[in-house]
Amino acid sequence: MDDIKADEVLDAKGLSCPMPLLRTKKAINKISSGQILEVMGTDPGSKNDLPGWCERSGHEFLGAKDEEGFFRFFIKKG
Amino acid sequence: MSDENVMGSKISGLYKVLCKDNWSANTAGILIALLSILMLAWARPWGAVGAVRNWGEWIIYGVGLWDTLGFSELSDQPGAFLTHTGSVIGIAFVGGAFLSACLGGDFAFNIPPKLEMIKAMFAGIFMGVGATLAGGCNVGGFYNAIGNLSAHGFAMMLGLVIGAILGLKYVFWEMEHIEWGTTGGKTIELPGALKTVLGICALIALVYGVYCYAGSEDDGLHKLSGILAIAAALGYVFQRARWCMIQGFREPHMTGDCELAKSVALSVVILAAGIAIIKYRFSAMDDFDWYWMQYVRGTFGWGGVVGGILFAFGAIQAGGCGTGTLWRVGEGQIKLWIVTPFFGITCALGSLIVKLNELEGMEAFVEEEITNAGKLGSFLYLPNTFLGYGGTLALIFLVMGVWYVLVDWNEDTNKFTLEM
Repeated sequence: MDDIKADEVLDAKGLSCPMPLLRTKKAINKISSGQILEVMGTDPGSKNDLPGWCERSGHEFLGAKDEEGFFRFFIKKG
Repeated sequence: MSDENVMGSKISGLYKVLCKDNWSANTAGILIALLSILMLAWARPWGAVGAVRNWGEWIIYGVGLWDTLGFSELSDQPGAFLTHTGSVIGIAFVGGAFLSACLGGDFAFNIPPKLEMIKAMFAGIFMGVGATLAGGCNVGGFYNAIGNLSAHGFAMMLGLVIGAILGLKYVFWEMEHIEWGTTGGKTIELPGALKTVLGICALIALVYGVYCYAGSEDDGLHKLSGILAIAAALGYVFQRARWCMIQGFREPHMTGDCELAKSVALSVVILAAGIAIIKYRFSAMDDFDWYWMQYVRGTFGWGGVVGGILFAFGAIQAGGCGTGTLWRVGEGQIKLWIVTPFFGITCALGSLIVKLNELEGMEAFVEEEITNAGKLGSFLYLPNTFLGYGGTLALIFLVMGVWYVLVDWNEDTNKFTLEM
């Protein structure tokens, strides 16, 4: 997970449901297929919401990383 | 591995299942229905508005506006925190969610960006007006309303669907047009061990509370023991599964995901079946009038629909409905800490206006069983119509079945999903 290089980073810290997912949806529209979006978030709900959404919408959820005070999520656009 | 080590890993496995893992939406839906039936069997149906309205009344009382605004025409002061049933339900619910969030490691002070804080205030006001018109929030106005076989639940349900769509449309618009105050949120984490200790303290406090009430000779206080225990269990389940009813109404239009919507439909069906059995069994009791009237509100009409629209619109901006707000309060989400007082104060003011002007026609209903004296809609206990108990259940099953099929169909076709 440490060597994933993100093409775009989204700061969704402090946002609560449903904003992290909606901002992710918007951010992913700006990158091209195969590129990687990194989402920094603090809502515990994102741990389930983001992988589930990726599966339904054809993106690849690469994984999540626990940082001090927030999570990093990595998504590869499908 | 030695036998002791195997046993140790099994015990920590059980702890993980009970306190760490996210429970599935269906597990939560079933448990919440069973706990809600139990709550009715023990004392009365439960709701979230009773709590936030009581807390809102205390804020109004605290800032010295109680007499000025005319609350003193109804009572000298708000019901006491620890003896007012609604307030006890709310405290227990938040306590249960806090316990779950602490043990699961989810508790943290989550401070939102500025725009979200401002939205929280307006969201609370919308939710308060909506809950006043609809005769309750997503619980008292929809979930426990349909569960208690009252038609006003269907009026609010229609409103919730419309309001969720309008709320989402606004959010999409806002994302395109407002940049100010959308970043800069932060989280203040507590050390893991401290969270566990706080969780254990909450558990001890809840158990102690149950024992205190149970030891009382006053029947009203004695009843609060079970109410506290069941409401705390509800808060625990809601947080553990992150079960959010407004999400059930929102997700089909946002991402197409219908997992929560389906679990809400399942939960309503179980709840209605359980409550119908209890109410039917007790329909021969002397004080059955009091019993069937519980959670039947005079908002089957425009009040329920418009209230549902405003409530759902607000809840989408808040990021939580009545219950979703309260369990997120227990999780440390500051945005919902801001929503709650605005929601509560608006509910208190709304309820005052409705009561002073007899807008709902509650007095005529309770005293003379007149069902259409109010201006928000009418009181309609479905089993009192030609449907009877069986027909009422069939109607509820049918509506929930249709909703289930529609959201499931939409998940594959995305016909109702809004474009960003």
